[in-house]
Amino acid sequence: MLKCRDIPSEAEKLLAGELPFGERVSVRMHLFICHNCRRYVRQLKVLLGALNQFDNSENHRKVSQSEAEAIVQRATDNVGPPQQPLN
Amino acid sequence: MTESPLDTLLPRLQQGDRTAFTQVVQVLHNNMLAIARSMIGNGEAEEAVQDAWISVFQNVNKFEGRSTLKTWVTRIVINECKMRLRRSGREINLDINSEEQDALTQRFRENGHWHQPPVAWDFHTPEQLLEEQDLRECMEKNMARMTPQQRLLIELRDLQGLPFDDICNMLDISASNARVLLHRARATLFTVVEHYQETGEC
Repeated sequence: MLKCRDIPSEAEKLLAGELPFGERVSVRMHLFICHNCRRYVRQLKVLLGALNQFDNSENHRKVSQSEAEAIVQRATDNVGPPQQPLN
Repeated sequence: MTESPLDTLLPRLQQGDRTAFTQVVQVLHNNMLAIARSMIGNGEAEEAVQDAWISVFQNVNKFEGRSTLKTWVTRIVINECKMRLRRSGREINLDINSEEQDALTQRFRENGHWHQPPVAWDFHTPEQLLEEQDLRECMEKNMARMTPQQRLLIELRDLQGLPFDDICNMLDISASNARVLLHRARATLFTVVEHYQETGEC
């Protein structure tokens, strides 16, 4: 029998679709009877969804075109064009 | 494998099209910097990613499209960082510290039931949560404080959405260790959101 203590890590596998059928049923059964764990899983989903959209935050903001051009310039200086594929 | 708009640029990249290359750099550069920072620290990260772009440019013709472009570029960045770590006699330790507990462990009774169950959040969707600017900053601050291993895993999996198997493969880490690191990182963030919900403070 699953305990509440098992749910946080099992829930991550459940949401990632990584649980085999039997374990999935056990988690679902536990969630059916336990509202605290249901709340945990519901909120975990919100958290993971938010992290997935964190992309617009400062750390992940797209670099400007001029900055990207400078990076490309440095990457291609003295290294020539890409090698041609082998036939 | 889910194709992203970046992947449609591949044919142009392989013809040496600089505009396409610039677009890829625009989208991926800061993501790659975040990965490099988790692996080798702020000091060297810029240089490592710049060197990785040279490899990307030189080797793009050898890329056969068996993963997404983003995964392929990430792999190059990770390898560049690993090389730098090796060169300076350092390594990234992805072993699990079994003494360490996750942020939720203390919240269960001996019998496995909740002792301190989760409080209800006012945020019912990811969008609502992200609208709370102070909370976002608080989450970022807490991610920056995580161990480098947890930071790296959450960056690759949850922020950048790379496939779990690809991540294990790139980092040469077992699936079970990767799950433990991810779980610790997520448990920390869960309690961060909860604390903010209860107190309105970070």
